[in-house]
Amino acid sequence: MASSEIPNLRTLLGHGRGGPSRGRGRGSGHGGASHGGGEALNDQAVQKTDDDAASFRLSSVELGYLDDPYAKYLAAQSRPRRPPLINRGTYVRTTAIDLLIHKFLSTSPEQPKQIVSLGAGTDTRYFRLRDAHPNAQLVYHELDFPANTMTKLAALQKHPQLHSKVSPQPPPNPLSLTPGATSFHSPTYNLHAVDLRSLATTSKATPPPPLPNLDPSLPTLIFSEMCLVYLQPSIASAVISAFLTTYITAPTPISLILYEPILPHDAFGRMMTSNLAHRNISLPTLMEYPTLSDQRKRLRSYGFCDVSRAADTEFIWREWVAEEEKERIAALEMLDEQEELNMLLRHYCVAWGWRDGGAEGVFSRAWEGVVEMDGG
Amino acid sequence: MSIGGSDLDRAITQLRACRPIPENQVRELCYKARELLIEEGNVVGVDAPVTICGDIHGQFHDLMELFRVGGDVPDTNYLFMGDFVDRGFYSLESFLLLLCLKVRYPDRITLIRGNHESRQITTVYGFYDECLRKYGSANVWRYCCEVFDYLALGALVTGAATSLSPTDGPLADNTNIENFPEADAEIEIETLNSNGEIMYRYARNSDSQSSASQATSNPASSSPIAPTPSRTGPAGTGATSSANGSSRNDTGAILCVHGGLSPLIDTIDKIRLLDRKQEVPHEGAMCDLLWSDPDEIDGWGLSPRGAGFLFGADIVKCFNHKNDLSLIARAHQLVMEGFKEMFDSTIVTVWSAPNYCYRCGNVAAILELGEDGSNAGYVRRSNGDQGGGGGGWILGSNVGIGNSGANGGNSNTVGGVNRRLSSVLGDIGKGREGPGRRYRVFEAAPQDSRGMPAKKPVADYFL
Repeated sequence: MASSEIPNLRTLLGHGRGGPSRGRGRGSGHGGASHGGGEALNDQAVQKTDDDAASFRLSSVELGYLDDPYAKYLAAQSRPRRPPLINRGTYVRTTAIDLLIHKFLSTSPEQPKQIVSLGAGTDTRYFRLRDAHPNAQLVYHELDFPANTMTKLAALQKHPQLHSKVSPQPPPNPLSLTPGATSFHSPTYNLHAVDLRSLATTSKATPPPPLPNLDPSLPTLIFSEMCLVYLQPSIASAVISAFLTTYITAPTPISLILYEPILPHDAFGRMMTSNLAHRNISLPTLMEYPTLSDQRKRLRSYGFCDVSRAADTEFIWREWVAEEEKERIAALEMLDEQEELNMLLRHYCVAWGWRDGGAEGVFSRAWEGVVEMDGG
Repeated sequence: MSIGGSDLDRAITQLRACRPIPENQVRELCYKARELLIEEGNVVGVDAPVTICGDIHGQFHDLMELFRVGGDVPDTNYLFMGDFVDRGFYSLESFLLLLCLKVRYPDRITLIRGNHESRQITTVYGFYDECLRKYGSANVWRYCCEVFDYLALGALVTGAATSLSPTDGPLADNTNIENFPEADAEIEIETLNSNGEIMYRYARNSDSQSSASQATSNPASSSPIAPTPSRTGPAGTGATSSANGSSRNDTGAILCVHGGLSPLIDTIDKIRLLDRKQEVPHEGAMCDLLWSDPDEIDGWGLSPRGAGFLFGADIVKCFNHKNDLSLIARAHQLVMEGFKEMFDSTIVTVWSAPNYCYRCGNVAAILELGEDGSNAGYVRRSNGDQGGGGGGWILGSNVGIGNSGANGGNSNTVGGVNRRLSSVLGDIGKGREGPGRRYRVFEAAPQDSRGMPAKKPVADYFL
């Protein structure tokens, strides 16, 4: 992607997850226009968001909330343990998305499927899915800025535990990559170095950037775990539109899972936006879609016309997690922040919607029994 | 060197500036505090007037704001219901200051134990790490934990007035005068903001009044009530005269505990029999008093906290009746509005850590109980002339609170003037008339206030 393809960056404050500089080597592939003083500050701030996510993940893993042998290879450094409510929240967020993905992969398991992770950052999900669904015919795509994909590639090269999983057959060691490579492609795992905003420029004159191995015929699940939230609403919408109308056209089944904050207007929400603003992080789609019903409408407006659902993460903890598992989690750490935890969980949601042609479609079957929250 | 007299005053001055005192002074202070606390029973007797405070959690600057709003020690008599430490960045300074004040003015400040005053909890929630960081060793943490073991488990407030003398302060913005009780009404509840402006005021039995004598219970319609002449008259007239002795001695005592009740405790005397001088156990009566929560259930329930129990309205009403209590005041649970009365005002949660953990966006409150005397013990105090504290009171909750009572809506909400349940519960439900309650609500202190050092707190979010 050439920087000249990016339209008027000044109007696009708020980067894709991780921003252009979340990894090292800030600015590769980006025009100078995006590097005004405020923008640079913003870049640094957003860079820290994935550090947070990675260290939260590692804390939850080390304390036994999550089973993820790969977290330690992708977290920049080990950090002190996080408070129990952060570990719980990380658990709920990860488990919720895992559950939807698991149901998708388990429905007609013989059928090849595709997953697209937007702003994947240091996410370990691909490697965990390979273990959990060894026989799945899965094509996995991660999209992120070149600086981030480069960092991830370095980790893949360094750790055999990751390296051995990136293709169906054991890959050569080291991976045969050209020097300075930022992308990686195999029949199962693809790391695309791409600025998500470049997808938003799609028109007849400027086709979207090529995403090698993205198969337009496979049922495709897209998820954005705190990624689109950093984009302006119109850009986020255009990014998803590129998938629905250009990459994966009807009638191929396609779905989107969002994990984002909600309720910016109550006391907790105001404090959240103000605290994050102090870290130079703004969440444009939070203001545009402040409630669960806004999130459902949003998914419909994107073109996920069959069904759109949403639930806050407190509901998900209560209704999606089995009692036995809740007891296991409760025994890990003493939690004396119940009210605060509930409030925190109520301010994040998972929204999911799909287009698959009706009741016989793969998503309709996979997610039929997944309960959403009333109202909101 | 010993800490006493002028040394103690110097330590207080230093701690008020949010600067820790040397380790040897901490040792000395903790020794003296233990000598004092060991003489206190498990349930400390406290005479009204008293100002009751909930969790502080190391939010030192907000504790200073609390003293600005509620008056300074020893001018105001304070009762802190525990959870001085953990979560905030200044647990050490907050706890040591309160302890210094306790040693300096033992009769003007009462400290009872919260569930965070424990070795186990402080190692998870920050106080241990803070001591290690500030002194390079765990000695100070150890001294403090030894004090924790001697803190009382509860307090019993007696001599509280049943009605308040109305404050003659100005009205807060958005306060609806039309909802105010008549001038000669007995004031049961009054809520003030941090500038001493009146947010709302309730007369005792206001729901029966409104249903019997007022067709216009809709707060939006015009009301025949004269616009609060009590505010314009001299302080001490008005409501207090109406008390004319009839209800003066009707209010029972007020039990203050950090968490709540225990299935093992049906009388206050049973609390007095506990051996408290130990680390908080994982279960049993002492644990329950520090960990339990009231909830909308019947009887007892399991607590999601993993310690203590949940208890319902029936439990509270029985306990209050049996022990001749008019109210239980407790802390322990974050409430966004700073306080929350439940179960027909038989129990109240008071929360005194505004913007808890620098993240929750809540306001805080303290509860003033007046003395059962000719002017309800209420002396209008000067809050100083600082206009600080932001002044930006959350208007929504003011309006909402005012209306919930007027509409006879949710009996669990603040105000709790809806007493319909009491007829259902018969004798037990009737209980004692609660004390007059004045809540002062305040927001977090500005971080750079009063030139004290303040680390910019970073609250975690999922990103």
